[in-house]
Amino acid sequence: MRISFFCRAKFDFWKILKVTFGVNMLLVLSEEHKEHLNFLNKVDAAVVGEFGRIALEFLRRGISPKVYEGAARKLSVPVEAVRHGVEGLMYLMTQSSKHMLSEVDFVDSLLSLEFGDELNQSLLQMYQQHRGEIRSILSLVPSSLPAYHNLEWRLDVQLASRCLRQQVAPTLATRLHLTHGGARGSGAEQPSSRRVLHVDLATLLHLISILEGALAALKSTHTRRILRNVK
Amino acid sequence: MQWKVGLAVSSDTCRSLNSPFVTILLKIAEPSGQISQKAFEMTVPQFQNFHKQMKELAAVMETI
Repeated sequence: MRISFFCRAKFDFWKILKVTFGVNMLLVLSEEHKEHLNFLNKVDAAVVGEFGRIALEFLRRGISPKVYEGAARKLSVPVEAVRHGVEGLMYLMTQSSKHMLSEVDFVDSLLSLEFGDELNQSLLQMYQQHRGEIRSILSLVPSSLPAYHNLEWRLDVQLASRCLRQQVAPTLATRLHLTHGGARGSGAEQPSSRRVLHVDLATLLHLISILEGALAALKSTHTRRILRNVK
Repeated sequence: MQWKVGLAVSSDTCRSLNSPFVTILLKIAEPSGQISQKAFEMTVPQFQNFHKQMKELAAVMETI
């Protein structure tokens, strides 16, 4: 691993942060993986492009074994070879996208496969074109906590109840909309759930002061230092 | 059954609402034996309709 950022010895935490974001990484491919990918060397460029397209589709929508059978028949090769080729390609693409490999590192990782230049270039192009999309698919995988979507509120004044007449009691009725799953900011959030909550004014003031405290924490020097280094 | 009468003063969509409403809280015994609570809100015309229907229901019960 080549470390290309100068690490300040002062804070171990910063060292870890800088090493994580500054390191140049190479993928180490297992022998089995290399064997599977070697199939790509034996077919021509059009087939490699087609395999790439299939691999992307499978990443988007899941694997469908029928496609393997069709391709195996067309190429007159065993189904297993096609399956290994496509899945090896899927794994190569997802691992490279996961680690945000630079172009140089991606090509370097392929060196151990001893592919020709043309094949390396077409794989690199495939990676560059689809890296962003693969990363957004990968971010959907872990199920996330319900997230804030919207808050509707209504100020009510309670005038009377079964037990007590002639009241003036203000309360806030709120409806909290939450979304489940899906990456933040993407359109892929699943249908939300809604909770109706009633808040009395004292609790409301307490809520406001807690949230303002959380916002103020964003402006603290500690947080600012972290954000500066992450960018 | 519990009820309360309130006035919706304003909301995030309408700053000057001034609309009276009735909230009813029903405690229901489910077939399983558990007691669950159902709350619902009605505007004044809806409540008047509800009241009329309850009266009709009571009248029918008397004839049984």
